[in-house]
Amino acid sequence: MVPAQSPPPDDQLVAATLAGDDTAFVELTQRHKGRVFGVASRFARDAAELEDICQEVFIQAYFKLRQYRRDSPFEHWILRITTHKCYDYLRKRRRSGNNVSVDAMLDSGYEPAAPQPPAPHPDLERLHAALAQLSPEQRLVITLLELEERSIQEIASLTGWSAANVKVRAFRARATLRKLMEK
Amino acid sequence: MNESDPHPDLEALFASARSHRPDTSAAEYAFETRLMARLRARRDLDGDAVSIWAMVSWRFVPLFAACILALTIWQAETSSETTDAVSIASLDNPVAAYFGSN
Repeated sequence: MVPAQSPPPDDQLVAATLAGDDTAFVELTQRHKGRVFGVASRFARDAAELEDICQEVFIQAYFKLRQYRRDSPFEHWILRITTHKCYDYLRKRRRSGNNVSVDAMLDSGYEPAAPQPPAPHPDLERLHAALAQLSPEQRLVITLLELEERSIQEIASLTGWSAANVKVRAFRARATLRKLMEK
Repeated sequence: MNESDPHPDLEALFASARSHRPDTSAAEYAFETRLMARLRARRDLDGDAVSIWAMVSWRFVPLFAACILALTIWQAETSSETTDAVSIASLDNPVAAYFGSN
């Protein structure tokens, strides 16, 4: 009986991609898309935006693969790109103007993210609408901290901000959320 | 009936939101195929941009050559005018021209 072949490690797939093997990159994508979609779905407004963010993450990863230093796992590297891409989308959205009240958003049929199942409680819908009202920095930090259960150090590493800065933003985000939820 | 609590416990809401992770399985379906198609399109576009630049830059070669020729002629004329001016000055005041040149 032939023993089952163990899947190649990420580093091997990275090297193969750099050598021009596209199937290696497809395998890398299959391996990590779940985590990327998981994080991006916390920030995307709809399915189209989710698809855009995830595609841009992997396209950037492909074109910057030579910059990947193998001192940390590939997953960390791709999640860092995902975090930055989500932050870019939040900032773009803020620039395009999104300053409506929580109630107005709920009245207009606001949905936090398209693939989301129906929220079990109205308060949860209010939370998602309130999260959408935060500044991009606060939303990024509080989402990673509370919904993705990342530590302060992990968030600092993913965003490139200092741990103190992350703590301050998390504190301010909570205060703003409380205010918005009490309105 | 409005079930919404005016002062909801934020921690409880976070816990509830954590347990309701969005289902992305539909969005993930055939993602690699779409991604690779976009990657190929992007590579083709990059390749096209390079070839267009190469084509356009070759077309500008005569223009660049003409510019360089014009600059060379202009520089030659300017330097000859300067030499003439120095010669005339030396004729007008040979002593000053002698000391000026030393």
